[in-house]
Formats: sequence, structure tokens, C-alpha cells
Amino acid sequence: MSIQDHLPALIVMLPLLGAFLTPAVASLGKKIRNIFFVLFSFLILLVALSIGCAVFWGSPMVYVMGGDSFAIALPSGMSYPVRILFEIDAFGALLALCIAIASFAGALFSVAYMDKFSGWKKYLSLYFMLTAGALGMCVTGDLFNFFVFVEISSIASFGLVAFWRDKPEAIEASFKYMLVSQIAAMLLLIAIGTLYGKYNSVTMAALSSMMADGFLERVVLALVLCVLAFKCGAFPMHAWMPDAYAEAPTGVTCLLVTVSQASFYGLIRVCYSIFPKIAAGGVVGWILIVFGCMSMFFGVMMAVVQHEIKRLMGYHSISQVGYMLLALGVGLVAMSDQQNMIAYGFTAMKGGLFHAVNYSMYKALLFLCAGSLYYATGTRNLDKMGGLARNMPWTAGMFVIAAAAISGLPPFNGFVSKWMIYESSFAIHPILPTIAMITSVLTLASFAKVFQAAFLGPAKTGFVAVREAPGFMLAGMAVLTVATLLLTFFPGWFISNIFEKAAGALVDNASYVRAVMGGI
Amino acid sequence: MLSQINSGFGYWNVLVWIVFFAGISSFVVWIRSLGRMDYKRNTDQDEIYWEGNEVPSDGSAISVPASSSYWGFRVAMEPLYKLLDKFHSGSGSDYAGYFVVTVALVGLLVLIGGK
Repeated sequence: MSIQDHLPALIVMLPLLGAFLTPAVASLGKKIRNIFFVLFSFLILLVALSIGCAVFWGSPMVYVMGGDSFAIALPSGMSYPVRILFEIDAFGALLALCIAIASFAGALFSVAYMDKFSGWKKYLSLYFMLTAGALGMCVTGDLFNFFVFVEISSIASFGLVAFWRDKPEAIEASFKYMLVSQIAAMLLLIAIGTLYGKYNSVTMAALSSMMADGFLERVVLALVLCVLAFKCGAFPMHAWMPDAYAEAPTGVTCLLVTVSQASFYGLIRVCYSIFPKIAAGGVVGWILIVFGCMSMFFGVMMAVVQHEIKRLMGYHSISQVGYMLLALGVGLVAMSDQQNMIAYGFTAMKGGLFHAVNYSMYKALLFLCAGSLYYATGTRNLDKMGGLARNMPWTAGMFVIAAAAISGLPPFNGFVSKWMIYESSFAIHPILPTIAMITSVLTLASFAKVFQAAFLGPAKTGFVAVREAPGFMLAGMAVLTVATLLLTFFPGWFISNIFEKAAGALVDNASYVRAVMGGI
Repeated sequence: MLSQINSGFGYWNVLVWIVFFAGISSFVVWIRSLGRMDYKRNTDQDEIYWEGNEVPSDGSAISVPASSSYWGFRVAMEPLYKLLDKFHSGSGSDYAGYFVVTVALVGLLVLIGGK
């Protein structure tokens, strides 16, 4: 038995431990608190990396809590697993890695960004709780625990969005998010309870092996699909997103971007791994495609006319999630026909997963750049900014990289994933890539506006003495810039070593089931 | 290859683009090198030409604010923006309503939709 065997438990345990140790550690002084915050986030990143290496170049990891052995999912005499179970395949490991990178970058950024504010104990505890919730969603192997992790991340995010309690907008944003989120959570619980009532199990692999195509199953699928589409910000259930992203402290917004990806993970896991008999080749794929197209187009239309920088980026998040929903919807439509899957479905899935990772990196970076501008100028209003590139060259440079990537400009990573989505969705209908390309053009237009308004032109009178962001904030941004550039320069390596395996894990449902259920 | 991917319809190679950009950049640098370097510094030749007027010292007087960007686009799309503004009412009960209606619609589609 080695530490490697316990990595699935460690990836959730570490942030939880961080959350509960925070009140004690934060009392020991600012320096120790900051070291603890960054070090713990880095440890989480190392664990996520180790899991990634073990899963991408090995086999799915299964971890059982509370049994005689952590490696035996199905004790003798049992037909179905009964204990808390974690199962990490390449898809889960990929999303967990994105969350850990964003969490580390957000932690580095927050050290300087939040320095002048009080309430650090609450901030750190909630930050680690949010990380734990999001990571748990990607590694859990049972639906009830998935619900628990969704709630952990939701409750932590309500607190963090409303962190600046003296701002009415922050309280309002958090309340609206909480209101709809709790309705969604109740529906999710009802759906999971219904499955448990019928199948006597909440283990995803067991449910997948038993799932039939019936009335009850379809109702459950519809409920789970809508709840998770809401959580990842799909139109028309997206309205909470720009408010919450704009009002949360920027380090948290960086993490919230990847938390929405954890919901995306859940949505795709449910469609591809638990309900493939209903979802593959049927109406569900088309529902995702329609959600995707509406999110892309209406998200970017709202973004292009905003002049509050974080709000503008919040609307772009909706638009970017649309690309992923479109791609994975195309994959689902193609899934029932092996020929279509080979011809375009698998490319769409790889493109969608590639885009999910790209989005996590460059969108988190864009939010950090927006936070850096707010830190330096004290405003989020683009009308009041101008000429900041001279005084903030590093922020300007990293913003250009992220903006070019999200706009899909070659040779950046955003172009590569969008190109794969355009080509594969064209096989279904030409209108789909057309909508995606229009969205991309409008994305470029709105980020050209942000760059022109904030960084170019003559300096505004009040901002002549503005200084570059502190080192810790730049370091947080640099982590995401390096990740974006790696994805840009080595797309071939990432696709063949990671995205292909993650997409393969979704298509090869039998191996997901077999890892837990053995030969059943 | 590390930098090349094939989609089944075509291929993408980032190195080709980098070579392309390097070529274009060299061309731009060459064009720039043709410019005259014998201008007189710290004279009127060095000043920004702003339609013959004195350049205001406050940047806000000569820059287009972000809220005015794409004004024409917004005017052209006015009917759509009216609908979108109405949709984003800011009311929590509206947002809960959109969610419930979407759940109902998706539920209906999944139930009546075939394989």
C-alpha cells in the first residue's frame, strides 16, 4: 500500500482539512496564513497532477471508504456497492486538474488582492470548501455524494459571492443565485431519490449497468440535465452568472469558472455514463445542442454591449459554455451510430473537452486581469479606464494572450478547440458552426473593446500614477498564462495524451462500469 | 507530432502559423525600417497631430468611452436588445420562473422524444 493508492481520498481531504484548519492557522499571523493558503493549494495541485498521471497513463482509480479494503468496491456476496465510493477516470481527472490549477492561481492572486480586507478566516475556509466541493464532484462515483458535493460548493459560493457584505449588489447577487440554486438542488435530490427507490443504488457505475429506458428514468434524466445545465450557466437559466461572477472577489471568480466546469462534468457524466441508453442518438443530444447555440449567441450578444468589465466577462462565460454544450451534444447525437461517431462525433467530443480546459484557463486568467485592473484603478467601469498599458505592461500582455485565446485567434488554443467544434458540428448541420463563428467574431469585437477602453489611448487624469499589480497577483496570472501557452503550442500532445483518453473514457462506458462492478 | 492535430476533415499545425507570423513580422519590421529617422525630437515634428488642434491633457476628452463602442450595432439590433433587457429583469422570481419553465419544457421533450 502506497500513498498513491490514497490519492482519490487525499484530493478531497486536503481542501477540507484546509477549510477546518484555517481559523487556527489564520490566528498565527499574516505571513503564516499566506504560506498556509498557497502551500495547501499547491499540495492540492500536486495531488491532482499525480492522479492525472496515474489515470491518463494507467487505468481508472477506484477508492472505497469505510470498507475492509479501500480497493474492493464489491465485497463478496454483494451485487452492488454500498459504501462511499470515488471513481476517477480520465475525464474526471482532467476536470479535477483544471480546478486545482485555478484554485492555486486564485490563491496566489488572493494573497495580495485581499490583503487590505478583513474576514480572512471566513474567506480561506469558504475558499477551501468551494475547492473541496468542486473536486468532490469530479471524483465521486455515486450520485448522492455528487449531490452533497454540489451543495458544499453551492453553500461556499453563496458565502463568497456575498463576501463584501457592505455592498448591496453582492448580497443581491448571492441571494438570487441561492434562490434558484436551492430549487435546483431540491429537484436534483428528488431525481436521485427516485433512482434509489427504483434501483436500490446510487452508485453511478451500478446504475449505468441496470438503467432501463422508461418513463421514470426519462423524468429523472430531464431533471438532472436541467439542474446541471443551470449550474453551468446555460441559457435561459444563466441569469445568476453575470451577477455572481461580477460581485465575488476576483480570486473566487477565478475558481467559480472551474466550479461551473464541475457541473458541466456532472451533466456530461450523467448523459454519457449513466443514461447512455436514453441519451445516445436521441432528443437529449439535440437539447444540449439547442442549449449550446442559445447560450453562445445570447451570451455574446449581452456581453458585447456591457461596459462593466467583470459583468462583460460573466456574459462571455455563458457564451463559452455554449461551445462545450454544442460539442458534447453533437457527440451524443452521433453516439448511437458507430460510423457517425468515427466520422465526426469523437472529434466533437475531443473539441468540447479541449474547449472546457481552454475555457477554464483563459477565462480564469481574464477574470484575474479584470481584478488586477480593479485593484489598480478602484473601478470596474470601462468608461472610466484608459491608457493603462503603459503602467501595467504585464497585466496588459497577459490580457492580450487570454483575449486572443478566447476570441479564437490563431494560433492560440481557443482557435484549435473551436476549429474542431466547427468542423464536427458542420457534419450535423451548417447552421451550427455558423452560429459558433458569429459568436466568435462578436467575442473578438467585445474583447477588442475592452483592450481599447482599458489599456490603449491616453491615460485618464486619475490614473497617471497607477502601478502594476503586486507580485503575488502577477504570479497567479502567470500560472494561467503558462497553461494557456502550453495548450497553444502543444495541442497535438494534449489531444493524443489527454483529451482523446478523456473522450474515450466517456464513450467506453463499459470500462467505467467494469472498474467498479468487475465482470458484471 | 506535438504541434499538429488532425480533425478527420483537415489538419492544424501551430508551427506553420508561427513561421507565417514570423514572416509577416519580419516584413513589418522591414517596412518600419524604411521610415525616416532624421526628424527633430522635442519639436512640433514630435507632437501628435490632432486635426490641427492642441491635444487635450486629459485623456478622457479624446477617447471613445466603452459604452459608446458599437453604438451602431446596438441601434441596429434594438428590437433584440429590448427583448434581452426585458428578459434580464434582475428579479429573482423571474429567474426561478425561467428555470421551472425550462425544466417543464425539457421534461416534455425528453418524455415525448424518441431514441
